[in-house]
Amino acid sequence: MYNKHMFEVSNGMTTKEKLEILADAAKYDVACTSSGVKREGKKGFLGNSVACGICHSFGADGRCISLLKVLLTNNCAYDCKYCVNRSSNDVPRAAFEPDELCRLVIEFYKRNYIEGLFLSSGVWNNPTFTMEKMCEALYLLRTKYRFNGYIHVKTIPGASDDLLSMAGYLADRVSINLELPTAESLSKLAPNKSFKTILEPMGKMTDTISAHRLAIGKDARMERSGINRYLSNSIFNSNHTQTRVDGTTVHAIGVKGPSISSAQTALAKVDSKLQRAFAPAGQSTQMIIGATPETDLTLIQTTQSLYQNYDLKRVFYSAYIPLNEDDALPSMDTAVPLLREHRLYQADWLLRYYGFTANELLSEERPNFNELLDPKCDWALRHLGDFPVEVQRASYDDLLRVPGIGPKSATRIVQARRYGHLDFDNLKKMGVVLKRAHYFITCNGRMMYKIPIEEQYITNCLTADNRKENWQIHHQNEQYVQMSLFSDYHMSASG
Amino acid sequence: MYVFTCKQEFEDMMCCIYTAWERALRVGHDQLRLEVEPVEQMQLFDEYIHVDADHEKFEKVTRSIQRKISMQAFVSVYYVAMSNEPDAIDVIYRFLIRGFSMGEVVLDHLTDPCVQRFFEIRRSVGNEAHFFREFARFTSIDNRFYVCHLEPKNNVILFVGEHFADRMPSEHWMIIDDNRSIAVVHPKDGENYLRTLTTEELREFEQLEDQQDLYTDMWKTFFDTIAIRQRENRNCQRNMIRIWMRKHVTEFR
Repeated sequence: MYNKHMFEVSNGMTTKEKLEILADAAKYDVACTSSGVKREGKKGFLGNSVACGICHSFGADGRCISLLKVLLTNNCAYDCKYCVNRSSNDVPRAAFEPDELCRLVIEFYKRNYIEGLFLSSGVWNNPTFTMEKMCEALYLLRTKYRFNGYIHVKTIPGASDDLLSMAGYLADRVSINLELPTAESLSKLAPNKSFKTILEPMGKMTDTISAHRLAIGKDARMERSGINRYLSNSIFNSNHTQTRVDGTTVHAIGVKGPSISSAQTALAKVDSKLQRAFAPAGQSTQMIIGATPETDLTLIQTTQSLYQNYDLKRVFYSAYIPLNEDDALPSMDTAVPLLREHRLYQADWLLRYYGFTANELLSEERPNFNELLDPKCDWALRHLGDFPVEVQRASYDDLLRVPGIGPKSATRIVQARRYGHLDFDNLKKMGVVLKRAHYFITCNGRMMYKIPIEEQYITNCLTADNRKENWQIHHQNEQYVQMSLFSDYHMSASG
Repeated sequence: MYVFTCKQEFEDMMCCIYTAWERALRVGHDQLRLEVEPVEQMQLFDEYIHVDADHEKFEKVTRSIQRKISMQAFVSVYYVAMSNEPDAIDVIYRFLIRGFSMGEVVLDHLTDPCVQRFFEIRRSVGNEAHFFREFARFTSIDNRFYVCHLEPKNNVILFVGEHFADRMPSEHWMIIDDNRSIAVVHPKDGENYLRTLTTEELREFEQLEDQQDLYTDMWKTFFDTIAIRQRENRNCQRNMIRIWMRKHVTEFR
């Protein structure tokens, strides 16, 4: 039966044509990271994996191309309003044969074009059928083609537990798209999906990953950047009781939650044959921003709770690009909210690497980020009472909260100040961005310039510094060409 | 001022440091300078002394760096030695002066200008090696053999080769540094080795790079398709993959 379907869908198309359709359909998925797992190569196999991840190229939009990002098929039974592949759209449809896809991955990998495979799919007939096909392709890739590189697989909401579990054994990172941060918006824009069908498998996956981690003697929770150990405030250190969005309480570490247990026994065979860790690079998810009226505060709080309660490795944001016309969606001429997306990513970094919490960055009174300033500067300006800090003595936490000082330069400052006095030149060499930092630090009791520590004054200076950068992000896709009399006015030299 | 010069090979450089140090014990460290050959502009009142590699001296220097400073420092010295900066060898020498007197903690003395410069070079070499791990492209020769051409500024193909030895252990492949005429060769299931190429060999391998097949074509298609038109941002692309690095990258050729 599968073959019949396959035939109908991809009748007479070459691999290249399919690749074009299926890459085009997959490009709106944001995650293209190959990080989070270190695995050495093996003789007879192809591939390894590097913890920091490796980008292999950068597309015309400046986004990295790390993985071969394709859909298995863009046939879709669902009709999510925002999606280019929705069933009501009339677009060319195609599907990869598992073998065809594997060959593509192997050949690209050997030429060092890609770091691995990112496999997603439209809902083909039903979630279980789709997930089966995806697992089939991955299984073939891991066994017959002996591929040992990175695989990121999107699971389809509504697929059975066995299949989720199988995906976990075969892939390095598993992700389920949350799509929208509230249940309301989701039911409005994605009528076939619900919060339950997304959060339930996500929760199960989290529990299964932590059970597997415990079994091999690791901590139940995913590794985080080492910096978080030194940050008392970090969202990863707090041990308040964690409740998931759907109301279930997270089980204490060591107690196995309602994980995908039945599937585990069924797939023990697969596990022992492949000898692979269960989703060693953890889970991630993605949210669309700008299509629905959520505030930045909601988004950032959702992000934080996903990190804390579901132990996700990453949460991605995708600025809404109008592709379909629909009453429920913003109009087709809506500008892509690139700067807002940029600010959200900056805030995401503040959560994961700088020990900030969502409620510190935004509040009910100020639910959106100031687009003119980055969230860290914005925070610092509202807390001028804590500044300036003295770089010779300030704690690591405090240094990290200074705009212009990041984890690396803070570490270098702490290292170097044990052996000698710092000056502003040294700070610059260590990678501190003095353009922003000099308003907030003193070095041996002195500030770099004589300036008033006043909110209005510093805000003006910082926004002036940022203006060019912000303008570039806003207008990044506009092209300028020099005017030409002949081509612009259709004149010819002879006429 | 005495100027000690040597070839730009790791072994030669270490021996040059040894010989210079011997002289410095008599005249002081500030009375001498180290340079790699070819020396571009000789100074009238300086004495130039050429140093050749000597295995015993090489062993002594590398052993003392590892013992008296640390293994980490030794790795960094190696990276800096692979740099193309004209002052790299002198920077290593100045770094070692401090390192031998204060030991392991020299790595934390980031306010010292010599240590600063040392790490600056160390980082630029490390970063370049990482760039070429990303942007190296192999051409398949009948699916049996893979060839990659690079033109790095620093001598990084060894680091790049190490990465691919782990990644593709069971393939025959080769990474060629076109400017230095050297190649890292990896036989299937074997160990990497370094080989100097003759001009004829180099020319022959250069032609291989133009080979196109179905997959290079598909890769270009994929590359063009995956960019989102509404987000086009050539500046960002140029920042991330610089134009001089694109010379041998399939999708930009």
